[in-house]
Amino acid sequence: MPQFEQVSVFGSLIFWSLISFGLLFFILKKFAFPPILEALEEREKKIRSDIENSEKLKEEAQEIKKELEETLKAAHGKAETILQLAHDEGKKLQEKSLQETEAKVRQIQKDAEQEIQSSRNKLLQEIRSYTAALTIASTEKFLKKVLDDADKKRLVEESIEQVIEELEKRQNN
Amino acid sequence: MESPLHHFEVHTLIPIHIGGLDLSINNAVVAMWVGLAIIVGAFMLVVSRGISPIPGKLQSILEIALEFIRNLVFEFIGKEEGKKYVPFIASLFLFILACNLIGLVPGSYTITSQVVVTGTFACGIFIMTLVIGFSKHGMGFFGILVPPGVPKIMIPLMIPIEIVSMLARPISLAVRLFANMTAGHTILAVLFGLAMTSPLWVSWMPFGFTIIINGLEIAIAFIQAYIFTTLTCVYIGDVVKLH
Repeated sequence: MPQFEQVSVFGSLIFWSLISFGLLFFILKKFAFPPILEALEEREKKIRSDIENSEKLKEEAQEIKKELEETLKAAHGKAETILQLAHDEGKKLQEKSLQETEAKVRQIQKDAEQEIQSSRNKLLQEIRSYTAALTIASTEKFLKKVLDDADKKRLVEESIEQVIEELEKRQNN
Repeated sequence: MESPLHHFEVHTLIPIHIGGLDLSINNAVVAMWVGLAIIVGAFMLVVSRGISPIPGKLQSILEIALEFIRNLVFEFIGKEEGKKYVPFIASLFLFILACNLIGLVPGSYTITSQVVVTGTFACGIFIMTLVIGFSKHGMGFFGILVPPGVPKIMIPLMIPIEIVSMLARPISLAVRLFANMTAGHTILAVLFGLAMTSPLWVSWMPFGFTIIINGLEIAIAFIQAYIFTTLTCVYIGDVVKLH
């Protein structure tokens, strides 16, 4: 095998391979590895911090969501209460206005009845006084003279006219 | 038909003799340089363009390779302790990978198929682990020869076994890489030789196999580089953690 037989080249092979490796090691260690390894580490750090950040953000978002849901729930509850209150209030108002209207109507009815009653009383009173006046006037005429039929008729008509006059006078007053 | 081991022969291109040493530049060294130049070129291209937070294709490939090696180092040596070994392990992986892959180019040479080269690296790593061990633990490093939980009576027996197992590490490391590369290339040479020498109605078969084995060899180039660096990490991790 040449690898065991060519003893004369062993020296140069060992020498040049060691020198070459040394040079490769020096160049790569000095110029190539540091920036690449640094970039790798930075990227790792960035990815780690990004992941951590995103997890933190996710947690925050979750919390915010929870809070929002709670707020929404509370708002819903509040809205329902407000709605219920408004409903109750409306009902109350409606009932109140109904009652008021009913009372008013009753009052008006009552007033009208009273008015009617008083008008009636007044009318009756008037009728009574006219009747009295008529009776007095008729009686006066009868007492003054015996009258013939034509006179009677005239007298009655006069009385009636007198009454009407009286009535009109009163009405005008 | 020429020997399938013929292409493992090293040919001197530029003879250099310093003192009694033959430091001639040969085809193996040139092939290695081409491989390393591609690696350095790729890294320099990415770095000179500026490292972008959103990587391009080449930057992604290099980042994946570096991240892969970094995780390997962290796994076997530990995160804090391992950081300073990342450049060395990464360079080692890239060196072996480049040498393995460049050897698959026809007419090129796989320097990792030279046992002296793999042996040099394996011995270098072995010595490095000893230096790390002693500098970290002082004399307490000898404790590595006594696995934890061994009854005291067994210690005299365990120490020689552990010494042998320690010494076997560089040998196995060196031979594994060398043997894999040599075997793969020998198979390729045999198959290609068959394809070239047999009549056309037969030659398509070994030629087809050459293509398949070549694909396999690419995978083996990666796997062997991975194994070499993983074991280096394991050995360093052992002496750092002391069991």
